[in-house]
Amino acid sequence: MKHAFSFAAFSVVATSVLWLSSARHPSIVLAASTPSVTLVIRNAAPRQVEDQTQKAVARDYAAAWQAMADAIDQNRPDLLAANFIGTASDKLAETIQQQSKTSLHRRYVDKGHKAQTVFYSTEGSAMELHDTVQLQIELLDGDKVVNSEDVTVRYVALMTAAENSWKVRVLQEVRQF
Amino acid sequence: MSVQFCVLAFLCFAALAYAADLHLPATVTAGNALTFAAPGNGDATMYVSGPGTAIKRKVQLGREVSISGDELKNAGRYTVAVDGVGSGSFFVTAAPVGSIAFLARPSRVPADTHDVINGTAFLFDRYQNLVTSPQPIKFELSVNGQTVTRTEMSKDGVAYTKLDSSKKEGAAQFVASSGPASVRRVVQEVASDACDIRMHAQPAQNGILVQTDPVRDCAGNPVPDGTIVTFTSTDSIGRSTVDARIKRGIAQALLPASNNATISIASGVVVGNEIRWEGGR
Repeated sequence: MKHAFSFAAFSVVATSVLWLSSARHPSIVLAASTPSVTLVIRNAAPRQVEDQTQKAVARDYAAAWQAMADAIDQNRPDLLAANFIGTASDKLAETIQQQSKTSLHRRYVDKGHKAQTVFYSTEGSAMELHDTVQLQIELLDGDKVVNSEDVTVRYVALMTAAENSWKVRVLQEVRQF
Repeated sequence: MSVQFCVLAFLCFAALAYAADLHLPATVTAGNALTFAAPGNGDATMYVSGPGTAIKRKVQLGREVSISGDELKNAGRYTVAVDGVGSGSFFVTAAPVGSIAFLARPSRVPADTHDVINGTAFLFDRYQNLVTSPQPIKFELSVNGQTVTRTEMSKDGVAYTKLDSSKKEGAAQFVASSGPASVRRVVQEVASDACDIRMHAQPAQNGILVQTDPVRDCAGNPVPDGTIVTFTSTDSIGRSTVDARIKRGIAQALLPASNNATISIASGVVVGNEIRWEGGR
């Protein structure tokens, strides 16, 4: 248990909802909570993950998923900047651009992540995670649900250390680890 | 009873027929087109969602439906839903390695040091998908005509290595390559700590002039200019210390005049020779 950290323990506001209001996006509802992320670090190599780093990565990875879910549901690429960078940011922005053109959007119901660190670079600037996620994914055309599925999916995530947080640089779904 | 059974059977069949999965391949390589059959008659709307992709377009049922390679360039899971027909999913896998993101650390290292240079390579295809299947990666470190090569297999898109710095200083070319992709970084190998510092002293007009021999590391590389050398003179009056920087390979300082002093020299953790200065010599 020493090497497992669940961000859910920090998510004591899991049921609360935050209402935002702005000129461009009035009355948009964002879930104030973040998904549950359990991060196991015992297989990290070549460097061991420090406790504080484990907590920070779990926190920031959970926040990234929340930001992604909000962004692709509301087709708002501006929600990605705080948590995504590089390829991951570009590909999500491309998704949102295409969705906007076709009036599509995706809704994720995130049922939790079981992630483990499989690589942590020697100098501590990059970390790769294997994440198994339980998701309900709905594809909507306007307000009409055109496809809905409950799936267990696997992601490879490459995170890099930014100034005072970890950002997702690659988020790629794979068939198997 | 038989009528009820028939109705139930028909309803089940109808439900199954509507929900029938599309026959899609399990995997497609990034950048390749996909075609599949959409059974039925007339037009329908097809929806495709995947990484970097959101497609909505009319298709003709009963004919082959195609999704272009340009629409399938991002690795990951894609879901296809055709209104009134069914849905299915498939995976797009990364194409062959097309580029490498290479982290070489640190950029400046002492020469002749074990496992001091770290190289980490992330493999991507031409569409910036992480190539997660195992690939050989060659790490090559060259300086002054000496080359060290190490080949590692990538795991989950990453490979890393640790290499010794060479005995001689210089700008080392550190190259990571896999398939047609190759990336070069420069690691400056500089002299390590001084190995053995020797100094000599001579009388000067206002004191004692102390000067080192050329300061080198244990492999014979000149220690970089700017490295601090400390001269210390101890006599009956007390102790005098002067820090001097190495300039053009040597360091020198003027110590206070004394008739009976012990002069020592050090740089970092390395202590050099000691001179007993008596009667002005």
